[in-house]
Amino acid sequence: MTEAVENQVEEQAQPEEKLVTLTIDNIEVSVPEGTVLVDAAKKIGVDIPVFCYHPKMEPVGMCRMCLVEVGRPVFDRATGEPVLEEDGSPKIQFGPKLDTGCTVEVSEGMVVRGYTEEVVDARKEVLEFLLTSHPLDCPICDKGGECPLQNLTMRYGPGTSRFIFDEKHHAAKHVPLGEIIYLDRERCIQCARCTRFQDEVVDDPVIGFSQRGRSLEIVTFSDPGFDSYWSGNTTDICPVGALTTADFRFGARPWELKASASVCNHCPVGCNTTVNTRREAKSGGELVIKRMMPRQNEYINEIWMCDKGRFAHHYTQSEERLTQPMVRNEVGELEATSWEAALDLVAEEFKAASDGLVTLAGARLSNEDLFNIQQVTEKLGGKALQNTHMAGGELVASVGVGQGSNLSDLGEGDAILVVASDLEEEAPLYWLRIKQASERGATLVVANPRDTKLSSKANYELRYSYGEEAAAVMALLGSISPKTPGESEAVKKLSRGQEVKDAATAISEANNLVVLYGNEGTGLATSQSLADACANLLVATGHVGKANNGLIAVWDKGNTQGAYDMGLVPSEDLAADLMSAKAAYIVAADPAGDDATLAEAIKAVEEDAEKFLVVQELFLTESAKLADVVLPVQANTERQGTYTNAERRVQIFYPAVPAPVNVHADYAVAANIAERLDLKLQKVIPAQVMAQIAETVSDYAEVSYTKMAEVEEQWPIISSEDVFYGGTSYENEQGMGQQLQPASQGGESPALSFAQVADAPKVDGLLAVPVTRLYDRGSTVVPTELLSERLTPTSVVLSPDDAEKLSIEPDAEVTVKLNGTETKAQARIEAGVPQGYVLVPRSVGIALNSPSPVEIKA
Amino acid sequence: MNLYNPLKVVPPLVTGLWTTFKSTLKKPVTIQYPEVKRPVRERYKGRHELKRYDNGLEKCIGCALCAAACPADAIFVEASENIDEKRFSPGERYASTYEINMLRCIFCGYCEDACPTEAIVLGDNYELSFTDRSQAIYTREMLLDPVPAGGEPTPREVEPGSFDRSIPEMKDPA
Amino acid sequence: MPEAYLCLRHREIENIDQMDVYRQNGGFSAWEKAISQMQPDEVTTEVFDSGLRGRGGAGFPTGLKWRFMDGNNWPHYVVVNADESEPGTFKDREIMESNPLQFLEGVMLTSYAVGANLSYIYLRGEFWELAHYLDERIAELEKEGLLGDKLFGSDYSLRIRTHLGAGAYICGEETALLESLEGKLGQPRVRPPFPPSFGLYGKPTVVNNVETLTNVPLIIEHGSSYYRKWGTEKSAGTKVFSLSGRVKKPGNYELPLGTTFRELIYEYGGGIIDDKEVKAIMPAGASSSMIVANDEALDTPMDYENVPNVGAQLGSASIIVIDETVSMDWLINKTVHFFKHESCGKCTPCREGTFWMSNVTERVHEGQANWEDVILLQDVATNIKGKCLCALGDFATEAVTTAIERFPEDFKAKAKSNGAASEELVETSAAVAD
Repeated sequence: MTEAVENQVEEQAQPEEKLVTLTIDNIEVSVPEGTVLVDAAKKIGVDIPVFCYHPKMEPVGMCRMCLVEVGRPVFDRATGEPVLEEDGSPKIQFGPKLDTGCTVEVSEGMVVRGYTEEVVDARKEVLEFLLTSHPLDCPICDKGGECPLQNLTMRYGPGTSRFIFDEKHHAAKHVPLGEIIYLDRERCIQCARCTRFQDEVVDDPVIGFSQRGRSLEIVTFSDPGFDSYWSGNTTDICPVGALTTADFRFGARPWELKASASVCNHCPVGCNTTVNTRREAKSGGELVIKRMMPRQNEYINEIWMCDKGRFAHHYTQSEERLTQPMVRNEVGELEATSWEAALDLVAEEFKAASDGLVTLAGARLSNEDLFNIQQVTEKLGGKALQNTHMAGGELVASVGVGQGSNLSDLGEGDAILVVASDLEEEAPLYWLRIKQASERGATLVVANPRDTKLSSKANYELRYSYGEEAAAVMALLGSISPKTPGESEAVKKLSRGQEVKDAATAISEANNLVVLYGNEGTGLATSQSLADACANLLVATGHVGKANNGLIAVWDKGNTQGAYDMGLVPSEDLAADLMSAKAAYIVAADPAGDDATLAEAIKAVEEDAEKFLVVQELFLTESAKLADVVLPVQANTERQGTYTNAERRVQIFYPAVPAPVNVHADYAVAANIAERLDLKLQKVIPAQVMAQIAETVSDYAEVSYTKMAEVEEQWPIISSEDVFYGGTSYENEQGMGQQLQPASQGGESPALSFAQVADAPKVDGLLAVPVTRLYDRGSTVVPTELLSERLTPTSVVLSPDDAEKLSIEPDAEVTVKLNGTETKAQARIEAGVPQGYVLVPRSVGIALNSPSPVEIKA
Repeated sequence: MNLYNPLKVVPPLVTGLWTTFKSTLKKPVTIQYPEVKRPVRERYKGRHELKRYDNGLEKCIGCALCAAACPADAIFVEASENIDEKRFSPGERYASTYEINMLRCIFCGYCEDACPTEAIVLGDNYELSFTDRSQAIYTREMLLDPVPAGGEPTPREVEPGSFDRSIPEMKDPA
Repeated sequence: MPEAYLCLRHREIENIDQMDVYRQNGGFSAWEKAISQMQPDEVTTEVFDSGLRGRGGAGFPTGLKWRFMDGNNWPHYVVVNADESEPGTFKDREIMESNPLQFLEGVMLTSYAVGANLSYIYLRGEFWELAHYLDERIAELEKEGLLGDKLFGSDYSLRIRTHLGAGAYICGEETALLESLEGKLGQPRVRPPFPPSFGLYGKPTVVNNVETLTNVPLIIEHGSSYYRKWGTEKSAGTKVFSLSGRVKKPGNYELPLGTTFRELIYEYGGGIIDDKEVKAIMPAGASSSMIVANDEALDTPMDYENVPNVGAQLGSASIIVIDETVSMDWLINKTVHFFKHESCGKCTPCREGTFWMSNVTERVHEGQANWEDVILLQDVATNIKGKCLCALGDFATEAVTTAIERFPEDFKAKAKSNGAASEELVETSAAVAD
């Protein structure tokens, strides 16, 4: 064990939790103070049944299912000594009524009985009550088979009903709460788990109760209905089949589903997921993905996931997928060919290009793919580029959060700085976990030019103009240590406010500090100086090289960190790089589709007969249409691999469905090209690729598939047999992943340069800045029809003042003149947008890499 | 034994012929299958039938409990949602695919027991023969009973809102 | 016992709702005395010593409740429960309409005692006219300098606001009232924590009934021993009894606690209409048990200690008198329908149980039920009891269980079959009585 790790163990042991010992069903158990009885019982495997209680939410005690007998020791009022029975045991006083196990907190010497006749009867009676108005349509209910009401009725319920069937209360059975979630009001047992989740956990109180008594019903009051990025989670925690997703409606019975572990690659959080599949006659007997469920990983996503991750998997089984390699023939058309022919041609052309090879890989690829691709490029001496506009991967490798970090550990006494990020849009789970940390008492400093959803939780809010991201962080640093050299005007200006000074004080006094930077309004250059500034702040305050301290980059793609670690760097001028290429190898990226100027560059490559373009893709993208060779590949649900998330946790995803016949994984394709270039790369088993990575990339030396697949006991305890908690299983049997050690934790002192601080760019007119929206129009999102109405339209966002000046009505169509192109877009007007700026959402049809002057015409 | 002693030869012969004679007068136990078919017992478990209500709507709601109960994994069910323009069964969903692999089926009747709407019933048809494996898979169309007299075929168009229960009550629904 | 007007002083003193008349009769002297001469603790002690108990129903000692206020958590609030919605209760309305100044003075004294600078009067939605009226009176007090900032030169400031509910019975439950006051759906909270430690907006809060607080000015003005002149040792003072049902003269009667049912019904209420026999008494509105009105019951003193001896609670003392013309199945059908309609739906037994009970009582009342249904009804009621989040569920069952237990013949007459099962009922009843 290294010294750093030892320290960390000591630190964790320090705040000793006070343990309370009590007896539940004659078994003694010691649990931390403040634990409720249901949880304490769970620790020793005693099941106290619940409906409304959920360990991730505040107890309300309304379903009355958890009634138990609770007794407390009697104390002599005069002496304070416990009163003893004749046999010397302490005298226990039981309450006159049964207590709810979910609201009563443990106390020393308490005796809890869940087996007495009174309790058994109470459970039977509560279930009988619940079932009086339940439609009992289990045979067609999507929850049937994983339903707590079903399970608990079988276990504790009465065998028969005394309620007259004809007197049943009837309610609407098919109420769409928006187009994503359906409500069945007859099945609802009014446990309020969904409304409390939306309110307490994710702060989107868009559903609630209306009416009272037997007519109490869930309603939505947002437009569109149930407008939340988290709505799918309510269907998981619903203890009956009242809330179901449109995606899974009547899709399959739960027991027919096969489960495979996976990792979401839509954002850098890397939520652990379970892919449920079933063979389907409608799809010609193929195995198809029926639903995506969260898988418990208390380091990453706990038991939640966002709706994008849950629903945007349909691209993997899209009809549009490429199924065979294609080569451009004499007449200039793409023609199907054999792998042999295609790969031979590619290898030949690459060899000819030699160091003129430019590789551009997108970061939705796995580490194995990226490694092999990088190796091929390196062998020839070419340029290995990744498709990102965010810099700082090396910095995260150096001063990223330490091994053993968990955002759930942050709380009172700790500080979190979030810069240039609309966190819920960029990485929803990070937003959730930072919000929770702030609720636990961590000091939250949010620096952003406009209000975001995180603002309401911020202790200190710092405002700066777009372009001054690094300056804002340097202003904070300047207030902590005045030795900062080379202060720019922007830093001086931003240092003046009291808020900055207070925030700086809070940061300097924090026990732990985590800094997250995003990509709100930043291009590659500003991102680099922002990352530098954040690293400066962390090093100057000594918050590096330890668990729960360090830098997190909220990357724009799922595996950007992995791409950096594998040695792929972003291009400062992609168009120029592509133009200079003798051969271009584009993998999982679509520069031509993203950006008109890049499309020109690619066209130039294509038109030049000397030059050669290979596109390795899932779909026939704009770039692929221009390619000389198109190589089809497998989606991540069809193969194995690993992703490295923004906290540098490396995690395995497993195949869930078989791949199309003639399609291979990216790493295998790259290895096959390598073979023809006399380079030996692993091409069959991803674990072997990882072994090679471990040999080559020093940070990954400890990483192996075996270790990543290890699981640990997690709290709350969840298992597939669980009736306690929710039926729908989140159980994680396939591994927690492995967090990498940043260089600073290994004892290396980070090599840092002071951040190049730029002032805000000055323009006469409006300045367009790129921002991120969760529901963008990327090629992995659009194939999900369910989300189609919620996707961000091709649009720009203006401040009300600017809109008035330009006399633009809300949602009117406008012409956007940007970087020499003209696009029609919808004009949205939002109050928080600073005047003089136009927000341009990324990946919705307007290309913008860094802040640029823009002209908007009504 | 003396084979030439008629006293010892004739009586057994006569006994035998008498037995033969007696049998010619009896009703034959064999039948002229396939021209004639033997009736089966009331509880005979033959080929499955998917039942309909008197009005022609299908009883099956596609719950797949039969498939879950099947010890031979012979049943495959896939459900879809009923819409008023195209209604198969009175509830919210119906079986859009219903297949039984008769080569696997062991005619145990568990599917019958599991069915919450009495939609699948093992009938009295024992004439199951096929010339290849794929023929052994009986589809929904093959298993469904014909539409009873006075009923309408499925799918049919119905008045919107005339079916609002997720599971039909176990009588002939509207 | 003679009537004694402490809360209903307007019956004695004409125009006591006028500021000058009220002041001539000692009005606001307690207020001035408290602010200028007494510490808040002393006010609380005086009330504690008077033996005043909550008049809303539970009868919890008022002074003790004030002492439970968490002194380490500020601000404190006083919330007046004027959501008078128990069927058969109509006393608070009369007090607020006719003796508003004494009531408001009571609110002010309470606020001073617990250190609240902002107090709310939560009125049921139907009292909107009354709310306007109280608003006017509060404005008048502010003009007089009796309410506002830095009162009588002290550091103490006080404001009073009225708040209208939306007409839900459950909002008379103190935690549901607080939820409603916070602008949320009126549903009770889990207790503990109780309002004196976690009340309005999570702050320590005293929730008291209108009648309770109307007594306070006289206690402070004349001292605790003055108040103890009426009533019994453990149930001190007077109580406004809301008399209704089959009596000749229904209405509010303020009598010392310990007055007997017989006195109230026959002396003040003028006896039963058409001089029929009294059959049963519901002493606490719809949520009370049925008292069999025999001589023992009629001679029982009405106070918090003695009423339980005849199998009921005094509650809000809304005495509903039932005579021989009324059948119990009709009566419980009414009360159960009321509770079904008013159940908030938060907890399972009450939401589903009241719905179920109302189905059965309806059937019983219509004569469509068998004797087994009566037993089922009894059993459902028993199953609700003791399992609910708040008291509403329990209240809903009181009349049902006691009516079936104490007046089985009414149900036997209604049941379609009443053969063999009748003995089972006796057993069930015995179990309930235990």
